[in-house]
Amino acid sequence: MEGMFYNVTGGYVEGIVRGYRNQLLTGQNYGNLTQCETIDDVKLQLGPSYGDYLASLPPNPSTSALADKTMDKLVAEFRYLQANATGSLAKFMEYLTYAYMIDNVALLITGTLHERDTRELLERCHPLGWFETMPVLCVATNIEELYNSVLIETPLAPYFKGSLSHQDLDELNIEIIRNTLYKNYLEDFYKFVNEEPGIAGTPTQEVMNEVLEFEADRRSINITLNSFGTELSKQDRKKLYPNFGRLHPEGTLMLSRADDAEGVRIAVDGVHDYRTMMDQTGMGGGSGLGNQSGGIGGDEGKSLEDLFYQKEMEISKIAFTYQFTHAVAYAWVKLKEQEIRNITWISECIAQSQKDRIGNYISVF
Amino acid sequence: MSSGAGREPVFPTRQSLGAMKSKLKGAQTGHDLLKRKSEALTKRFREITKRIDEAKRKMGRVMQIAAFSLAEVTYATGNDGIKYQITESVRQAKFRVRTRQENVSGVFLPQFESFQMEGSSEFGMTGLGKGGQQVARSRETYTRAVETLVELASLQTAFVILDEVIKVVNRRVNAIEHVIIPRTENTIKYINSELDELDREEFFRLKKVKNVKERAAAAEEAERQQRKRRESDKENQTDGADSGQGNESGGKNVLGDEGDEDLIF
Repeated sequence: MEGMFYNVTGGYVEGIVRGYRNQLLTGQNYGNLTQCETIDDVKLQLGPSYGDYLASLPPNPSTSALADKTMDKLVAEFRYLQANATGSLAKFMEYLTYAYMIDNVALLITGTLHERDTRELLERCHPLGWFETMPVLCVATNIEELYNSVLIETPLAPYFKGSLSHQDLDELNIEIIRNTLYKNYLEDFYKFVNEEPGIAGTPTQEVMNEVLEFEADRRSINITLNSFGTELSKQDRKKLYPNFGRLHPEGTLMLSRADDAEGVRIAVDGVHDYRTMMDQTGMGGGSGLGNQSGGIGGDEGKSLEDLFYQKEMEISKIAFTYQFTHAVAYAWVKLKEQEIRNITWISECIAQSQKDRIGNYISVF
Repeated sequence: MSSGAGREPVFPTRQSLGAMKSKLKGAQTGHDLLKRKSEALTKRFREITKRIDEAKRKMGRVMQIAAFSLAEVTYATGNDGIKYQITESVRQAKFRVRTRQENVSGVFLPQFESFQMEGSSEFGMTGLGKGGQQVARSRETYTRAVETLVELASLQTAFVILDEVIKVVNRRVNAIEHVIIPRTENTIKYINSELDELDREEFFRLKKVKNVKERAAAAEEAERQQRKRRESDKENQTDGADSGQGNESGGKNVLGDEGDEDLIF
């Protein structure tokens, strides 16, 4: 039923996205890339899909320059989609950019805190997270001014509201601010896909719920694992967990009490996917399990982070099997991002001649 | 005289000979000592060169791993902003270097020691959401890389200083060996020859003096003999005053001379 009128508003964009998806590098392409000897060869191999964007690069470009150019393509395509999106899809795409905005705002806050010239920071900001009032952030010279007059104007204002005061900006670690914002953002996005009239009850809701729940769980687990050995207290840590997801509420409660990787493993035990991942990394697993997973091979040397990315890519890939949904846009952005990361990784491996780990990229097609 | 050695401007006296001899002895002792010092330093120098070689190789490996771990971080976090965030969130150096001095045969070599400040890392929470483990690992790798660099820096400084010192010491050794010792020896030879010359002159002079004295003594002896004879003659004269022969001869001598003078003028 929901498919009946979807194409009236979102059909064009969905078609474009599916076209973009077909441009993504395949396993074959990656195989070719890993055989390259120099960055120039990589550039050549990327020619068919990136073409014009790489043309302006000098011979033997640096890996970061290469990554910037590939990112440019993603941004240009995203902008095109955004310009053509209407209704709930436009709003949906705005939500996609908020994640990058959070990163940019965190960057600018760091700059302001250290009294740097924030203007030069604008270049470092992620282009997808660009919003119109962002240059205004540079006007603020101290943190109070930033909070009272500038942040209020940004699309992120609702995420600051109620959870962070301007004293917090000054005192809290920027990472906590960033993660608090991100938590609020995820919850808001979750609410959006479940309550927005144009989305609720459509496949978009179904797919996005899965994606966002995974994202929330991933953040919870990562925050827990990464906070070991830092001064982040358990109470503060608990505040950073998004209030939804497959781990919520029992899993997150147990995560908040975890002291080590073993605790994390017990916490995620209830969810099969995460338990398998923990076993694969050999993190906190029992000895028998550890041996088994080691015996499988192929997964050796993969960190939890890699496995999460792998999972994210699989979810994104599956998202394309649904029709009449906004989720393909999200999935495409994620896939493209991973592709850029893969290219960076491969070119980095080639540039530093560390070929033995070049196969660590994640390819799903 | 050997080329360029020359000799020192001293008066060839017995005193300066003594001074020169003690100087030569001092120079020889100094030469031995310096030679031994230079050998000790060279030994150390070689050791350091070997260690620098090792350290450089190690640095190459470690830096490669470190650079690669940074690539991992970029991969895991997905953006370049992370570098800026890390550099901005650090206020205090955690990894510090302390220096102490080591004495190698009188040469002070600075030694750098690295140590870590207590307390948790300033950017411990960077990448909390994602990539935190990679950041932490990269941090450890770079810490090890910097340790290697500090070690290398310490060796390099020692290398440069030792190189300089060895050059100076060798220059001194050579100067003593090829300039000071020959010159002192020359001076001693010169003084000796001068003294010998003086001795010979003295001897000759003495001989001359003796000669003169002997001649004078002989003359005196002759005179005395004559006088003695004359006295005995006078005695004879006075003895035989009445005899005409004695009167005639005496009168002839005295008067004859006077008469000649008159004749000339």
